[in-house]
Amino acid sequence: MKILIKNGTLCTMTENKIEKGDILIEGGKIAAIGPEIQDPAAQVIDACGLYVMPGLIDAHSHIGLFDFNNEYTVDDANEMTDPVTIAVDARYGVNPKAREFRASYEHGITTLLITPGSGDVFCGLPFALKTYGNNVFDMTLKAPCAVKIALGGNPKNTYGDRKQLPMTRMGVAHVLKETFRKAKEYLDKKERKEDVDYDANMEALGLALKGEVPCKVHCTQYDMLTAIEVCKEYGVHFSLEHAWGATDYMDEIVESGCDICYGPIATYRSPGERRKIDVEAVKELDQRGVNVALITDSPILSEQSLYHHIGEAVREGLPQERALRMVTVNAAKVLGVADRIGTLEVGKDADIILVRGRLGLDTDAKVEYTLIDGNIVYKR
Amino acid sequence: MYIIKNGRVHIGNGTILEHCDILIRGSKIEKVAENIIEPAAEIIDADGKEVFPGFIDPHSAIGAMGIPTRHLDTDEIHQPVTAAMNIKYSIDPDEVNAQEFYKSGITTIGCTPGNYNIFGGQIAAFKTAPQKMALRLVKEQAALKCSVEAGVKQVFGGRKQAPMTRMGILQMFENTIGDARREKEKTDHQKVICQVFDEKKMPLFVAAETKGEMDSLLHILKEEKVEKVIIDGFCFGDCAEEMKAQNVGLILGNVNALSQILKHGMKMEKLVELAENGNLIAFTNTCSGSSEGREVFIWTAIEAYRAGVDAEKVVEMMTLSPAKMLGIADRVGTIEEGKDADISIFSGHPVTTYAAKVERSIINGEVVM
Repeated sequence: MKILIKNGTLCTMTENKIEKGDILIEGGKIAAIGPEIQDPAAQVIDACGLYVMPGLIDAHSHIGLFDFNNEYTVDDANEMTDPVTIAVDARYGVNPKAREFRASYEHGITTLLITPGSGDVFCGLPFALKTYGNNVFDMTLKAPCAVKIALGGNPKNTYGDRKQLPMTRMGVAHVLKETFRKAKEYLDKKERKEDVDYDANMEALGLALKGEVPCKVHCTQYDMLTAIEVCKEYGVHFSLEHAWGATDYMDEIVESGCDICYGPIATYRSPGERRKIDVEAVKELDQRGVNVALITDSPILSEQSLYHHIGEAVREGLPQERALRMVTVNAAKVLGVADRIGTLEVGKDADIILVRGRLGLDTDAKVEYTLIDGNIVYKR
Repeated sequence: MYIIKNGRVHIGNGTILEHCDILIRGSKIEKVAENIIEPAAEIIDADGKEVFPGFIDPHSAIGAMGIPTRHLDTDEIHQPVTAAMNIKYSIDPDEVNAQEFYKSGITTIGCTPGNYNIFGGQIAAFKTAPQKMALRLVKEQAALKCSVEAGVKQVFGGRKQAPMTRMGILQMFENTIGDARREKEKTDHQKVICQVFDEKKMPLFVAAETKGEMDSLLHILKEEKVEKVIIDGFCFGDCAEEMKAQNVGLILGNVNALSQILKHGMKMEKLVELAENGNLIAFTNTCSGSSEGREVFIWTAIEAYRAGVDAEKVVEMMTLSPAKMLGIADRVGTIEEGKDADISIFSGHPVTTYAAKVERSIINGEVVM
């Protein structure tokens, strides 16, 4: 089935700016973009007065792993039996019937990175999925798409309460470095064709050491320096997740070449990790060439709060167009799926939203249509 | 003495005055009019700016949590009835200061006991500017905070004490009021409860979020004449008729937290109906007793606007309505002569555009930002 989106205002998220134009969709992909496309065989969607843009991407969520819909919280995000549980795969924990998926695509969020929580130092393997579909495995876009690591208070409190390593930040750093060292040794032995006992955790961290996936490191404030030091030492690509307090570590972040997944915002300020919630950081990071994504941590905050997150960045002076990149093309790069999604370009997946109003600027902007893989999955 | 010149002034009651001046002397608003001439006054140019009364979050646990300590200062949970507790003694001004509420336009909060006690204690209205305590406290004993939420049974049930169930919570709520009235030698807690229910000395703020909690609460309160306000109230859309009949106020919790919208199948559009009926509506940074950052206050206001509430009505819900709930509308909540000079100058209208930043915040006449 072919779909033709006519006369929309296109926000392609590429350097190639097209103001007014049409998009032809065929076989789930974008087949053509340009002015005055005609195709009598296609179903036409009139996008006159609407903004047409790539589906939104939330680069850090726990939908289906945390469930707050009942009286007691369900936590399938934290396998807190050992500070090193690298090999657990988030796909196996996700509740495919989580209602948050529907809320996501109804608000134009077409791809999520779903990650294990932050209760361990090495938390597990995140994956990327499309928000509409029959089961998690069919919905999966890329798995795994990172190794999730957490520094700071969460792992320290998990094991500190049990009087086990790590009880302190230095303990966390020790576990981090020691595990990387072992994984490197494991890989080296394998490369030298020496005999090694199969170790699922080491295999999983090996993906990062071989450059196949990045590390996503939960950290804030001064923990960013630990993350940067260790990731640089082992030459892995990485993103700093949450990154509250980034304004204090701007030079180190820029120099390290890492990505930033900033958010969620709207937490109360208190001494320590929550001292500084500085969303204004994303403006300077963007100006200095850092690839920044904005994240909600949903369902900690609702998936639709992504609008508010974009908006708060705009409030701090980030141009709206740059803010939208942080939930589309930039986020696609973080997920390692920029060849598939994140921009409106010929050959990419037809994950497209039609929006009345300017997202991140007009507070009442609303998604009128959501298309995923060329299917209309939502119409307001 | 200074004049905020030529702004687009939102009074707080739904009225907008274009190209309006505000003369401020000391801590008070002296005059609101066009073209005020006062040669001795300093001028703050607000041409092209949106001028609002300071926003009021009438229910904030932040400010009294005692975040670095082991036990929260909001919940005196040695027993479920502690109505005589006055939150004033728990307020840590530094904790309020750290939030920089005024950067979101919030100049007054109703600092509150938490949600773990059925009768938790008394709310105090408190300014957010880093000023002397005496200047900041607008009103103590501004409302009695109660809760019938699940947190109560989790705390006491967890100790194998009453209440362990919602039956237990609501029964204890009902009985405690009756016992207080019947008792000849009243405890301090019972005295406060009678002051609230019989003398109407202060309004009743009750945290309730599920439909069952809200229905039960409204059933018990049906004949009570005290001014009633429900906090969190996520199922307001399912209880709208009874809320209208009893004219119950609503302090809507942080709807974006922890799947509240989906969990409760929230009907945000019902806010329009409640507002048209005259129910007071306000917003809070808290959800089930725990508070988040200042931004969520504006986010919930935006959700109300997205659901169809008129922008100036939303402004009223951020200003005059919470002032009325706390009984402090004689001091704050609108830009009117004689009121406290609590004013935010925004670069845009924060209900309709995200590109709206507080450029100046004035609290008690002092420019704090």
